Amino acid sequence: MERDYTLFIPEFIAAGGAVLVLAAELIYPKVRKDYLAYFTAAVALAWGISALFYIGNTVGNFQGVIQTDNFTTFFRLLGSGIVFVVALLSAQYMNRRTKTAGEYYGLLLLAGIGMVYMAAARELITAYIALELLSFSLYVLVGYLTKDNLSTEASLKYILLGAFSSAMFLYGMSLVYGITGTTYYDGIGAALADRSGDTDTAAVVGFMLILAGVGFKVSAAPFHMWAPDAYEGAPLPITAFLSTASKAAGFALILRLFTGPLAANADDWKWAIAALAAITMTAGNLIAIQQKNLKRLVAYSSIGQVGYMLVVIAAIGYGDRDTAQNASTGLLLHMVGYVCSTLALFTALTAYYNRTGKDTIAGLRGMAETQPFLATIVTVSLFSFAGLPFFAGFTTKLFMFQGSVTDGLLWLVALAVANSFVSLYYYLMVLRQVYLFDPEPGMSRFSVGPVLWVTGAALTLGVIFIGVYPGPVFEGAERATDPLFGVGVDAVDHAAMDHSH
Amino acid sequence: MTLELEHFLTVGALLFSLGLFVALSKRNAIGVLMGVELMLNAVNLTLLSFSRFSVSERPVAGQTFVVFVITVAAAEAAVALALAVSVYRNRQTVDIDRINLLKS
Repeated sequence: MERDYTLFIPEFIAAGGAVLVLAAELIYPKVRKDYLAYFTAAVALAWGISALFYIGNTVGNFQGVIQTDNFTTFFRLLGSGIVFVVALLSAQYMNRRTKTAGEYYGLLLLAGIGMVYMAAARELITAYIALELLSFSLYVLVGYLTKDNLSTEASLKYILLGAFSSAMFLYGMSLVYGITGTTYYDGIGAALADRSGDTDTAAVVGFMLILAGVGFKVSAAPFHMWAPDAYEGAPLPITAFLSTASKAAGFALILRLFTGPLAANADDWKWAIAALAAITMTAGNLIAIQQKNLKRLVAYSSIGQVGYMLVVIAAIGYGDRDTAQNASTGLLLHMVGYVCSTLALFTALTAYYNRTGKDTIAGLRGMAETQPFLATIVTVSLFSFAGLPFFAGFTTKLFMFQGSVTDGLLWLVALAVANSFVSLYYYLMVLRQVYLFDPEPGMSRFSVGPVLWVTGAALTLGVIFIGVYPGPVFEGAERATDPLFGVGVDAVDHAAMDHSH
Repeated sequence: MTLELEHFLTVGALLFSLGLFVALSKRNAIGVLMGVELMLNAVNLTLLSFSRFSVSERPVAGQTFVVFVITVAAAEAAVALALAVSVYRNRQTVDIDRINLLKS
């Protein structure tokens, strides 16, 4: 098999940018830190644009371990977009808090690369390395404010739990390797399909451990303990990154694994995922109600969102091929809407924090008076989370749940809808502070810098656009799920593929 | 008695459980890390015994995997210890019961 390095050009750009950012600060220690942020954003932009050239290309395969298809392209665009926005959010925020920012922006780009390869991996070792690239970058980014007690504490807790879950994930992978004799997804799928029928304790234990590992990465309850702490302690832009990139990456990996190699054994894992989804969404939403700290509230609300997304994975197990593709398309669509809403919310929170230094729920009081524009963004994004009509969350959840409805899973979809109503309560509690209370004495109206203003406005428009007219994004999501289900894949992998059909 | 696959797997599973227990019961961050390292070594043992005993088309994959796991484990220890040091500088302790500023 020939080695086609042109498949990696977008990530070469990103990795090169990461090295340049590091080098720039080494050579010119006095460089303005916000320039580094804008440079990172430019690299992310170039990364995203270069990824556009892969749309509609034939599926590229590197030695069977990495596949660049529409699914990979989808996550390249999403990943570079997230890095772009997070870099812009960090500019002012980090400028005030650190003397060295080169590593911060370098690691941000590397984390994005890890995310892309989690989506592109077609082999267990590659998937594991990509996952650890993302995780390690995040451990350090969460603890980047070394003088800050909360930041360092959050990162230590995060890495201890993360290392623990990686070990479980690895043990699961080692069992799957032992059963199938290969680490390639295609080979695993073929081997499992050959032996389907006889239940095998080792296989079930392996699947459960893998599920625990990825469940930790996407912070599904009961593996969610790290999320609130890491969210609260991390610098604000990194909290945004955690709740978007690491979840998107986790679901990319889950989709590749559970629609492909593990699909043949759906009976062994589908009940576990359905239970995980139910526990995750209920726990996330119920605990969110009690939160006083805004970052913790967002953490639990995002755990609730993960529960909704897991409904799709359960539907992949319960439903047939068509259900699986419709549900997955819904998941990718919802992911885009969720990422836009989350980033919009954090743009507003960062702009507000830069000016006022407040990031608690009570700290938002009177925001509608001091900064009506930010208050609008917060309102739009929270309504989108809650799933009110005309905002992204409503439309994308509708598509996602509609796609996931299948025999034996109606109860879960009903539970998800009920949970959405619960979530409205705590989002409204936040908005109550924003609109119904007077600002604290001494707080006057202030203006927002142009960068954050434009970012926030663009993301808010995106949220409304997806909510009103989801057509284009839906189309993109559908093309992205094609390769997962073998639609339009012509002779990608040879012997192994033939074997599995 | 000859050593079979089962013996190695049993040792691997025991080692993994021991590591799990250590990681969950230790209150010291470094102790937790040591438990995790035990778990990773159990994984390595399992991978190696599978690649040694099961007849597969790619027996090398298991050994390659082990090399990667060892490398990543080393990196993980380095990052985790660095973060522990940065906590220790601020708080003069790495006892996870006493590192409890983050609470709901």
